[in-house]
Amino acid sequence: MGKKKWSEVRPSEDYRRILRPDGTLQGKAPKVSRKELLRWYQVFVETRTFEEIAVRLQRRGVLSVAAVSRGEEAVGLGAAAAMKAGDWCFPSYRQNSTLLYWNAPIDRAMAGLMGNSPEHIREHLPMTADQLPAVTFMPYAVFLGANIPLAVGSAMADKLAGRDSISLAFIGEGSTSEGDFHDGLSFAGVFDSPLVVIIQNNQWCISMPASKQTAAETFAQKAVAHGIPHERIDGNDVFTVYDTVKKAADRARKGQGATVIEAVTYRMLDHNTADSSAVYRTEDEAEYWQTLDPFDRFEKYLLAEKIIDHSTRGTLAAEAEIWLREAIDRGRAVPPTEPPAMFESHLHGEPGWSERHQRAELAAELAGQNPFVDYTGEGLQ
Amino acid sequence: MSAAIDKGQTEELNLVTAINQTLRQELARDPQVRVMGYDIGPIGGVFRATDGLYDDFGDQQVIDTPLTENGLIGAAVGMAMRGERPVVEMQFLGFMYNAWGQFIYSLANLHQKTGGLVNVPVTIRTTFGGGIKPLPFHSESTEAYLMHTPGIRVVCPSTPYEAKGLLAAAIRCDDPVIFMEHTKLYRAFREPVPTADYTLPLDKCRLVKPGKELTLIAWGNMVHVSQQAVDELDYDVEIIDLRAIAPIDVEPLLDSVKKTGRCLIVHEARRTAGPGAELSALISEYAMEWLKAPIKRVTAFDVFFPDNQVEDVYLPGPDRVKAGIEAVMNYQF
Repeated sequence: MGKKKWSEVRPSEDYRRILRPDGTLQGKAPKVSRKELLRWYQVFVETRTFEEIAVRLQRRGVLSVAAVSRGEEAVGLGAAAAMKAGDWCFPSYRQNSTLLYWNAPIDRAMAGLMGNSPEHIREHLPMTADQLPAVTFMPYAVFLGANIPLAVGSAMADKLAGRDSISLAFIGEGSTSEGDFHDGLSFAGVFDSPLVVIIQNNQWCISMPASKQTAAETFAQKAVAHGIPHERIDGNDVFTVYDTVKKAADRARKGQGATVIEAVTYRMLDHNTADSSAVYRTEDEAEYWQTLDPFDRFEKYLLAEKIIDHSTRGTLAAEAEIWLREAIDRGRAVPPTEPPAMFESHLHGEPGWSERHQRAELAAELAGQNPFVDYTGEGLQ
Repeated sequence: MSAAIDKGQTEELNLVTAINQTLRQELARDPQVRVMGYDIGPIGGVFRATDGLYDDFGDQQVIDTPLTENGLIGAAVGMAMRGERPVVEMQFLGFMYNAWGQFIYSLANLHQKTGGLVNVPVTIRTTFGGGIKPLPFHSESTEAYLMHTPGIRVVCPSTPYEAKGLLAAAIRCDDPVIFMEHTKLYRAFREPVPTADYTLPLDKCRLVKPGKELTLIAWGNMVHVSQQAVDELDYDVEIIDLRAIAPIDVEPLLDSVKKTGRCLIVHEARRTAGPGAELSALISEYAMEWLKAPIKRVTAFDVFFPDNQVEDVYLPGPDRVKAGIEAVMNYQF
């Protein structure tokens, strides 16, 4: 007898959906230009290309760990397209499509994945203010829930200042079990914050199936107790994601408060390259989710609408491979961060005695001298 | 200090397999032992410390929980006060910050708050320490936060043998115990470990190597880093594995320093208000007259655990420990 594994119950498909898995419409497509739809398709291709490169680099030892979003790209993409310049985004580690849509610097991202400090990356890969993405991306919180109260505060600041920008945060279904999620929503409800929280329900929190996170019927309904409107959508349908986030964002911009959106999707691959999902989940569900693939159905739609043809994917993938390779190579060419960088950006102003002393100790150590021979506190001689 | 016991029939285990075997034996010994945490079931823990336990003991004794550290500690305390004996897996010490409320209000304080009526026999196993280049908050050595909290024990094994005996003792102890497992030691080496169950004292430090010229205090992976440094130098260094991080086993430390007249403290934690600050203060207060040199602290720096490129320079290695030993040994009044 083999080892026990989880076998996920298929989530109910009783959710908002516009584009069927076969690429046909079951509702009204959102008003999006053909040019914009082609851009979405391009980002889809870029995201898959980028993530394939990242995994290869991890296998070759260039990156210590890599997380990908295969099967979940429509969530980040549809949300990205619904944001506007000036908005703030609080991603997790599964929104490469959001970053690519807004032209986030891949060279800098790669240098960061390789373990360089942010100051060092900025120095070696300089960018002018107008080269930065028009949406501001905060770093993802390793502790995903931690970004929710932060996004709420950001939204409160926009409201206080009378700006019509919004804050948009992504969280996994697992992290909605954390207090931080509810702490944030308590505020967002009371202060009618211009906030959109997207629960990217990919069914798996490392090895824990969604059914082990909550006994609630849906994750979206967790918003009910906070007095915040919610919607549960097909997260593999980029039209529904875009349309739902757009409406939520419009409400927020008009001062009508926050929205929680549960985007139902699926983590097709391992949690990250340090994980092995075959240990804990059965393979029977993968086949089902393959039929719901977000890219395939969007591609079918675009082909039927003659926005792309059968050569488009190859052409875009080849282009993506070239520019992504160049960007990644620029990131890899950043020289390793020097050790004193560890002291940077802790406090403003002149460093105090301890920092000065410890910097001197480190310098002595790196110069092959003994860092511990200050016996008076007057400094290393 | 405790002496090694007769090991009887042994098998070669590394630190993580020693922990796995201990959990298995404790689950079998006492049906009220409940291993709790997320990713501990079919996956067997992200480091495989609970590998196979879910299959063999089922979901009543090996309980996969929702992702909430505060909920996890709070629920474990609630179960413990009703007679259960939870063993919580806190995946990383850096995740425990989210549980600070239940850690302080419930885990640490409940026994004292009820005038000793309610026991909280919870063990929290948590990984700590750097050296494997993971993501941020996966390498924390912030045991000073724990030490500053009354009402809890904190222990840290540095070998597979120590891990088995200390974990069994922690689980059987009626106090809350934080059990610190260094990720870099999980698969670093094997040693003979008794197959039968046994316990080691939770409140005693351990003499690693006797010496006459300098007392070196370390724990976790720093015991091994320090041993390497001592092996490469020609001084007669006494190495003590602190093992009981809280409460500290103070007397053997003072006795050792009174014998050697010198002290070096080696830890992976940041320096300011780190564990070394307390140890140095204790020795200054109670062994001043015997000191031949200032007490020195070989530590990490007062910064957040840095990006991967800098990690190796941040952590104390054998060279930094050697410099510390030289600095103390070469001191002249």
